[in-house]
Amino acid sequence: MSVRGCVAVVGVEYSKLAAQLKARVALAACVVGPFAFAAAMKAQSSVPEDTLFGRSVKESGFAVPLVVLGFAALWVFPVLASLVGGDVFSAEDRYGTWKTVLTRSRSRSEVFAGKVVTALGFSLLLVSVLALSSVAAGVLLIGSQPLISLSGVLLAPPHALTRVVLAWTTVVLPTCGLTAVAVLLSIATRSSVAGVGLPLIASLLMQLYAFVDGPEVIRQALITSAFGAWHGLLAEPPYYGPLVRGSMVSGVYLAICVLIAYRSLRQRDFAG
Amino acid sequence: MRRNRLPRSLIVIAAAATSCCGSSPITSARIEQAIEPTFANLVRVQVSWLKMPPMDASEFQVTASCRRQLSGSDAGAGDWVCTLRWQSPDFQTLRDTFDLFVTTDGCYTATAAGESLGGPRLRLSDGTEVRNLLYAFEGCFDTT
Repeated sequence: MSVRGCVAVVGVEYSKLAAQLKARVALAACVVGPFAFAAAMKAQSSVPEDTLFGRSVKESGFAVPLVVLGFAALWVFPVLASLVGGDVFSAEDRYGTWKTVLTRSRSRSEVFAGKVVTALGFSLLLVSVLALSSVAAGVLLIGSQPLISLSGVLLAPPHALTRVVLAWTTVVLPTCGLTAVAVLLSIATRSSVAGVGLPLIASLLMQLYAFVDGPEVIRQALITSAFGAWHGLLAEPPYYGPLVRGSMVSGVYLAICVLIAYRSLRQRDFAG
Repeated sequence: MRRNRLPRSLIVIAAAATSCCGSSPITSARIEQAIEPTFANLVRVQVSWLKMPPMDASEFQVTASCRRQLSGSDAGAGDWVCTLRWQSPDFQTLRDTFDLFVTTDGCYTATAAGESLGGPRLRLSDGTEVRNLLYAFEGCFDTT
């Protein structure tokens, strides 16, 4: 397996993605969504009180990216993670193109690595675009007023911006973990419907568990809990326990899913 | 004999799971430690919004006493009631009760029970309105 080979696969996969409608629609939704939300908040009198920072959404533009972050954890991140991850392998099954792909000069490992890098890269691209767009929407449409933290402390605008950026950074690893779950399901089921749908259902079920007051150790082992680890960064003083644990859990999901996916692709018989 | 092995190991695992992790990290001590400084900080911000002379958060001397609504257990997510004793900016000792909803990840929403702290919005002397920070607020604490 060579790096050049992987880069070549990534290049091909990205040119395929660039031509796909769903990739463009997802990118456009990540750009437009936060602006639509901020504009709606500005126009209407009620605020989303059931979401963290929902009450402050009209007082500080920095609350907008945090409300979007809290809301996105429910189902936006699972969708973004599985959109490409759940399809990048099974698309070859759908079009019957595995034999063509694997008889080219790139090895099976290179194709695997290239596709995984593509899926992870695209998930991260969508999350970054959503983050930038929600910060921009908040600051441009609401303004850059000080933000009241989760400990009731007034954060000056530069300080608030730093915390918001850090909070968004914490979802990178769980998004990668969820993308790896989608990749594994895409390889294991050879179906894009399962590859995209099952991670979504799984994350919804995991979040349902958070409403049930079950054993804490199970809740912390669920990858969706890591999407809420940013709360500690908005407290005074900040606490990092959930962040450390969530990052470890996400890393384990990522490593295990990629390993199993690799083995199952290596062992698959394409000749039949 | 082999057939007995699986159920027995399941029982051991279940027992281990309930004994090591049976108690919820959402305890009255954690909630009290979280809500006391948060409330004091919010009073401080509110005082500055109302254009009163600035005060330090520690001057409000907030002490909280929280209990779970559901009888029979003293830990867990759900509905809690907290009574906050604090010193107002004009040095009166006040008692206010808050209804809390605490989620499993250690975040809570506190809503004032009754109107002793005013409604959701406050009108300033110059006619402008601000949100009453003490009427409803939220916070999070470490559950690990």
